[in-house]
Amino acid sequence: MAPSPLVTTATTQAAATRSLRERLLRRGRDEVESDRAVLVLHDVTKTYPNGKTALRDVDLVIPEGDFVFLVGPSGAGKSTLIKLLIRDEVASNGSVVLDGQDLARLQRRAVPKVRRKIGIVFQDFKLLPTKSVWENVAFALEVTGTPRRRIRPAVDRVLALVGLTAQRNQTPNQLSGGEQQRTAIARALVHDPRLIIADEPTGNLDPLISWEIIQLLLRINELGVTVLMATHNAEVVTALRKRVVALEEGRIIRDEVGGSYHRID
Amino acid sequence: MIGFVLFSLKRAWQGFWRNALMSLAATATMVLMLILLAGFWIIQTGLLSALDFTESKVEVQANINLEATPNTITALGERIQAMPEVTTVTFISREAALARFQQSMKNQGREDLSRFLDTNPFPASYEIKLKDPSYAATVADALRQDPAIRNVLDTKETAQNVKTVTDIMRTAGTVILLVIGVIVLFIIVNTIRLAVVARSEEIEIMRLVGASDAFIRWPFVFEGAMVGLFGAAITLILLYVLSDPIGGFMIGFFRVLPLNFGSLTRDLVVLVGTAGLGLGVLGAWVSVRTYLIR
Repeated sequence: MAPSPLVTTATTQAAATRSLRERLLRRGRDEVESDRAVLVLHDVTKTYPNGKTALRDVDLVIPEGDFVFLVGPSGAGKSTLIKLLIRDEVASNGSVVLDGQDLARLQRRAVPKVRRKIGIVFQDFKLLPTKSVWENVAFALEVTGTPRRRIRPAVDRVLALVGLTAQRNQTPNQLSGGEQQRTAIARALVHDPRLIIADEPTGNLDPLISWEIIQLLLRINELGVTVLMATHNAEVVTALRKRVVALEEGRIIRDEVGGSYHRID
Repeated sequence: MIGFVLFSLKRAWQGFWRNALMSLAATATMVLMLILLAGFWIIQTGLLSALDFTESKVEVQANINLEATPNTITALGERIQAMPEVTTVTFISREAALARFQQSMKNQGREDLSRFLDTNPFPASYEIKLKDPSYAATVADALRQDPAIRNVLDTKETAQNVKTVTDIMRTAGTVILLVIGVIVLFIIVNTIRLAVVARSEEIEIMRLVGASDAFIRWPFVFEGAMVGLFGAAITLILLYVLSDPIGGFMIGFFRVLPLNFGSLTRDLVVLVGTAGLGLGVLGAWVSVRTYLIR
């Protein structure tokens, strides 16, 4: 087992709080919203065209700077929830408000801009095999029309943050699983998103490397980025005592701060 | 804007070569289809000019009374020329008619017996070319009423038969060309679709990181255009190499036709170029549309 992440968390706590406070103040000046929630789901129901209801009456508020575990058995609705957040699907009922914008009322043209506020990380990394680490991260900026002069410093910065500066010219197949996932995290971060969604980010990794990835996500969270992580990794969830939202059959059955993976009766 | 175009062109170029096998397969399909299209176009052009040539052979010959005065003959010529169905009128004098007969006898290697004649038995005549062979009957009937006309050579039935056959062949040729065009369209669109589907993961990543539709679409459209232009260029080179045998075939098959090869070449370049580019762009556009934001 790796050194306890709790220790790391504690040592950087002060700096993180300061960083978070600065960030909140800076954003507070730009926005009118009082609660500063990154994500608000109200009464959300999702029924697919085949009649299957994946989510029922879901209410969820995630404030800026939160770290939330989304847990639940397969088929509980985690994937559907994530699809709603990135507007791959639209809620059948209720509202999904991301950073003040109602995704259901969003025009088609506005969707890409909203997606840039979210960084998403998958179990299977989704890296382009023919591109190097650096190019994979830069790709996210290139395809969103970022000027070249701003791409280089931004990519260098996030690669340093995830600790991949030395591997920048390697292709994904030359990397370990953990390094590949760190590349994916760097790509998710490079847009400076409001929210990182990690869908089973440790699902393909061994326990030691999983802890490494979790610690990276915690560090990113300390930098002020809100993190929503869907996972089956009970050990991690229980050890970290973060906020836990549990889904079952499309409903939120539990939402507690400092919770564990399984319900403690 | 310029940055966007450069980005798209760069990505199209990279995309083409990073999936070289797929791209070359698409280009090869494009070449084969364009050759098919061009081949049928050439045959159709040959057929059409053969039909025009055949139709131009349908004409009305009006023989003039031997007693007609020069004034009457001139007036008659003007009257025929004024008819709306007529394109050209050629006057053949009695001497010219005789000379023509003698020449044709000589060409056929037969003995010229006209030297035994006391007088020239040939009447003067007007040879009338028509705007359309179907007018033959109308013009012939009108001329028969004229007192200065001795007789009109009756080509009514020939004209009707020629007209029927040429119309059928024209329609058939156009239909076949259209059908080939549609087949070519489907095959090319499907091939490019395969090349796009092979890169669906890349498109998915682009969508997830928030690329706008234009950034996803245009590199693929440019790539489709590249496939089209490469295909068209290769096709034209092949056709150029094969142009001598094709010309031989055309002359052999359609028999001594007044084919304008200069304009055929120009039309072919335009046809192959436009078809290649258009099909490549269309194929890419349709294929990538599936992956854009719903």
